[in-house]
Amino acid sequence: MSRRAFLKLSAAAAAGALPWRSVSATPDWHTYDVATKVTILKPQGASRAWIPLPLLDDTDWHRAIGNTWSGNAAKVQVHTDGKYGVSMLFAEWKEGEQAPVVEVTSRFMTRDRMVDFSRPNANVPRLSAADYAFYTSATELIPTDGIVRETARDIVKGQRTDVDKARAIYEWIVENTFRDPKTRGCGWGDIKTMLETKNFGGKCGDLNAMFVGLSRASGIPARDVYGLRVAPSIHGYRSLGVGAPVITKAQHCRAEFYAQGFGWVPVDPADVRKVVLEEPPGNLPVEDAKVEAARKRLFGGWEMNWLAYNMAHDVVLPGAGVKAPKLPYLMYINGETGGERLDQLEPDAFRYEIRTSGVKA
Amino acid sequence: MRGFLLALTAAWACAAGAQELKPWTGGATPALVLQDLEGRSHSLESYRGKVVLINFWATWCEPCREEMPSIDRLRKSLDGRPFVVLAVNLAEPPSRIRGYLQKVPLGFSVLLDRDTAVAKAFKARILPATFIVGPDGKIRYSYVGELDWSQEKVHRTIAALLPP
Repeated sequence: MSRRAFLKLSAAAAAGALPWRSVSATPDWHTYDVATKVTILKPQGASRAWIPLPLLDDTDWHRAIGNTWSGNAAKVQVHTDGKYGVSMLFAEWKEGEQAPVVEVTSRFMTRDRMVDFSRPNANVPRLSAADYAFYTSATELIPTDGIVRETARDIVKGQRTDVDKARAIYEWIVENTFRDPKTRGCGWGDIKTMLETKNFGGKCGDLNAMFVGLSRASGIPARDVYGLRVAPSIHGYRSLGVGAPVITKAQHCRAEFYAQGFGWVPVDPADVRKVVLEEPPGNLPVEDAKVEAARKRLFGGWEMNWLAYNMAHDVVLPGAGVKAPKLPYLMYINGETGGERLDQLEPDAFRYEIRTSGVKA
Repeated sequence: MRGFLLALTAAWACAAGAQELKPWTGGATPALVLQDLEGRSHSLESYRGKVVLINFWATWCEPCREEMPSIDRLRKSLDGRPFVVLAVNLAEPPSRIRGYLQKVPLGFSVLLDRDTAVAKAFKARILPATFIVGPDGKIRYSYVGELDWSQEKVHRTIAALLPP
């Protein structure tokens, strides 16, 4: 995807729908509907909501089909960024609307990913110089200098190829970090602080950001991919899927690195640590067969029981009326009312519910 | 982005902590101009001549909540002396802060760092983070993590900074 100015493309539309587009696919593709309902509970003045939509770019593992929406917003717009694959629905209600509500249904298709490292493909497109620079650059919370670069240098010492280096980083994260269930949301990915304090506990937003930062600091293009689990794991991992139709708290982010001959390679060291902590009976040793299998599969493979939203960092919400910090990523629903930005993790003035077709009620 | 900070767990804070204020070696004192919950503007510069305790915190930060009452005890113990506490909240909705203050009334000002620019300037990347500013307007001590601010040693250290 070409990278253009943030939010240059903003398709205005009346509240309603964009038609589903027609997409042909082979039987290994699965189609899901995810419905998100946002309600502002105590509206004061103008209210706003931002809802992430499926990843815009067509890939060989994820295709957005379309979005429909309903509700009583005075303005509804789909915003895209042309940079990180972001697509989001922006809804705005005027002062006086007593019960602001918007419901969005997104349809998309996914297919499992698995890279065969024994078969490099010379025809895989190379990253442009601009994309290489983009995906090795620092973000606000993911610096690539100082302690990040020093740590990365130690980890990849002696490794020759980008795949070898990425694997060394992946193994280092699996060995040295842990999933901390007390982390708010998915963690914000402040990897410099994690390295400085040697506090390696976190969730996917921390542990996979660590993979991205250490990779970028090693000169390997890498990116976080933020999304949502939408179905159970067919591989039998209770911790790596959802078991009920309501998936409001099923946000999950993953990571990719780029390697010549393989393209973008999926990884998910954070999910290895999730298996360690949560897979029954819990607190499994890393030598456990379930952990070992997940550890092997999650370097080069993603089970696509998961909706990809975007790869965005340092997000500024379009149309915001409140002074607030940039978001480290866009994976949760955000809102404003009464001149306040609502806490996306503990919404006490708005409520949202996300439901998936991937689990039958 | 520093609105999204790590909160130190109590265990980490204890492990890290000799429970002593750390003499400041971090350079110049950043500017601080923020509004409180009532919309009044507070400037660190306007407190020149007083010792100022600046505490960066959030309601979701458990160690921050734990140490707040001890900061208030310290304030009470120095009542009538030129000592001020400014509790800088990190980008939370004022309604949530007010809700917390209804449960835990505090006798000092809570300032709103809506875009976390001041926390960034102070390099407050872990919560809670506290800075002690002397009467000359310069940071003298800092502490990262939870601390019992009402303990005698801390009281002595801060009282020693107070102008006669």
